[in-house]
Amino acid sequence: MQRRRLLKLGLGAAVVIGVAGAGIALIKPGLVDGKLGPGARDVMRAAAQAVLSDLLPPAGAARDAALDAQLGRLDAFIAGMPAPTRKELSDALGLLSTAAGRFALVGLGKPWAEASTQDVQQALDAMSKSSSNTRQQVYHALRDLNAITFFTAASNWQTAGYPGPIEIA
Amino acid sequence: MSSIPDPILDGLQRGWKVHGGPHAALPAMLDCDVAIIGSGAGAGITAEMLARAGLKIVIIEEGPLRSSSQFKQRELDAYRELYQESAGRKTVDQAMNILQGRCVGGSTTVNWTGSFRTPPDALAYWGDKFGLTDFNEAAMAPWFEQVERRLNISDWQAEPNENNGVLKRGAEKLGIPTKVVRRNVKGCWNLGSCGMGCPTNAKQSMLVSTLPAALDLGATMLVQTRATRFELQGERVSALVAEPVSLDGAVTGAPLRITAKHYVVAGGAINSPALLLRSNAPDPHSLLGKRTFLHPTAGGVALFDHDVAGWAGAPLSVFCDHFLHQGPVDGPVGYKLEVAPVHPAFALTNGGGIGAELAQRARDMPRTQLMIALLRDGFHADAAGGAVKLRGDGSPQLDYALTDYLLDGARRSYLTMAEIQFAAGAKAVRPVHEQAANYTSLAEAKAGIAGLAMKPFLATIGSAHVMGGCTLAADAGRGVVRPDGQHWQLANLSVHDGSLFPTSLGANPQLTVYGLAARLTSGLIQRLGSKPAPLA
Repeated sequence: MQRRRLLKLGLGAAVVIGVAGAGIALIKPGLVDGKLGPGARDVMRAAAQAVLSDLLPPAGAARDAALDAQLGRLDAFIAGMPAPTRKELSDALGLLSTAAGRFALVGLGKPWAEASTQDVQQALDAMSKSSSNTRQQVYHALRDLNAITFFTAASNWQTAGYPGPIEIA
Repeated sequence: MSSIPDPILDGLQRGWKVHGGPHAALPAMLDCDVAIIGSGAGAGITAEMLARAGLKIVIIEEGPLRSSSQFKQRELDAYRELYQESAGRKTVDQAMNILQGRCVGGSTTVNWTGSFRTPPDALAYWGDKFGLTDFNEAAMAPWFEQVERRLNISDWQAEPNENNGVLKRGAEKLGIPTKVVRRNVKGCWNLGSCGMGCPTNAKQSMLVSTLPAALDLGATMLVQTRATRFELQGERVSALVAEPVSLDGAVTGAPLRITAKHYVVAGGAINSPALLLRSNAPDPHSLLGKRTFLHPTAGGVALFDHDVAGWAGAPLSVFCDHFLHQGPVDGPVGYKLEVAPVHPAFALTNGGGIGAELAQRARDMPRTQLMIALLRDGFHADAAGGAVKLRGDGSPQLDYALTDYLLDGARRSYLTMAEIQFAAGAKAVRPVHEQAANYTSLAEAKAGIAGLAMKPFLATIGSAHVMGGCTLAADAGRGVVRPDGQHWQLANLSVHDGSLFPTSLGANPQLTVYGLAARLTSGLIQRLGSKPAPLA
């Protein structure tokens, strides 16, 4: 019998999610030593590719390098967050790394590393219009963290036509 | 190397008593006349006045001491170092992002310098509903005059940048009056980076004005030090317990104990009620942390056929309060129109979109104008404000509901913003709403806006003004704090910040905080048996 567990998702909402057999307690935290762990890296890499797709170099080595740089910026940004926020994010990313969490919250059938950019974009689009607070919270965690870390990097300012601040003598 | 003097580095060289973080080690115990929690608008004014009255003060600030030579006009540095929760503080449901300073100077270090006296209709409401009849325009005027002189608050004389110019030009075409913003600046370079800390010390924030004055007079300042809780004995505070924290808020050492004759809480309208909640302060009428207001703020972007360069120039120089006065103050929610600076991370993170849409919005950024509408909450039963709550670890959260009443105001503001933007020559407009598209005519905008589902998250609503939670009122049944600023139940504790406001204002709050703090501090000095000296 499938056991329904009530998970208090740190993102502020309570999510009822069906977990067969294994309990929620077995979900690994998304952050390991304050950085994106392997599962969370897959989640964020796929999200970054979907959110920033047309701002990144074409598929290939240059895009891979840009995504690596983006993950590095995410790690640095997350390290500066207050501990309670980091914990919430860690719980959410841990949950999103599981098949059940990915399916329930994102509506994505394929594993993150196998889903196409279009698959993830469609899922994110649906979340952005969702009436579920939880899906909206997850959407903003994935989308806004990628946007803020991308556009705060001076190397990306040219994508927004921003010349940078006026330097003062 | 910048040739601009850094008054903070100079002061440290002169031997200011600053402890915590990278500065001198924190002592285990401190005793003073008055301990001031926070270093923002209310705390800064209070600190200078108390120091000038000859009182021994200790200022306790959770954030770091940063100054002009470190302000590099970079969003990333500013958000991480100068704002609460890396500029990602959110309401409990996460539907609203809240920008609040967390550094020496508090939000005055990062605000956009808009300086507005408390609107008369707000003061009248406070008189009617909270018994604050002595807080009328005439009674407050001398206090405003004093702080305006001290902080060089005056009309912005330069031409508005194009971001503000759109508001002025469009409203004028429609016969809607706008006004020039008064700013607390001296020799402003018109850089446009107010939100990232002023690199030229032109902004007369608490960081460069009142706090240096207090430190020069011998005040002690503890930075990266969080006020954890008060120890209470009967109707008095016996001590403040504080702890050293790192930039991410983690505790980094042993707690310290500060004893004082009097304690002034001025940590801002989320942290002040939270400190009192953590201290189990008496709250016989369950008012503490309630009626917390945000000026929920909706956005509207417009695209022009020429560069707007909304990042350059004084970010806030024109405003319109016409839509606050279309009906009674407790009628359908009114809104104030301003513009917000268009820096890449701020504009494109808040502006929504992914993939091709986000990339197009980025390419359009130089030609993008960003208007905002600040909803005046607190005057109607359906905008009764949020409640500050504590997480398990004692950190604060604001539970605030975006009601249909407020969201109706957001929808009306979308149309107003679109009308003004088109009148100013916009080629397309888009309310900042997940369902909205670029509308290329007013007719299309009207139809589009009418069809938007007005729900939290779908409508992007944020806040940079947190007010209320320690309501000032004429009797204990209506407020947490007496009209003289003292806590209704705790004899040696006062509150001197935006948490005093019984409602929001319909205007940017810094000058109201300054004026109230000046008035309340003058009274406090007399109650402590000293002689108040004017600020300016």
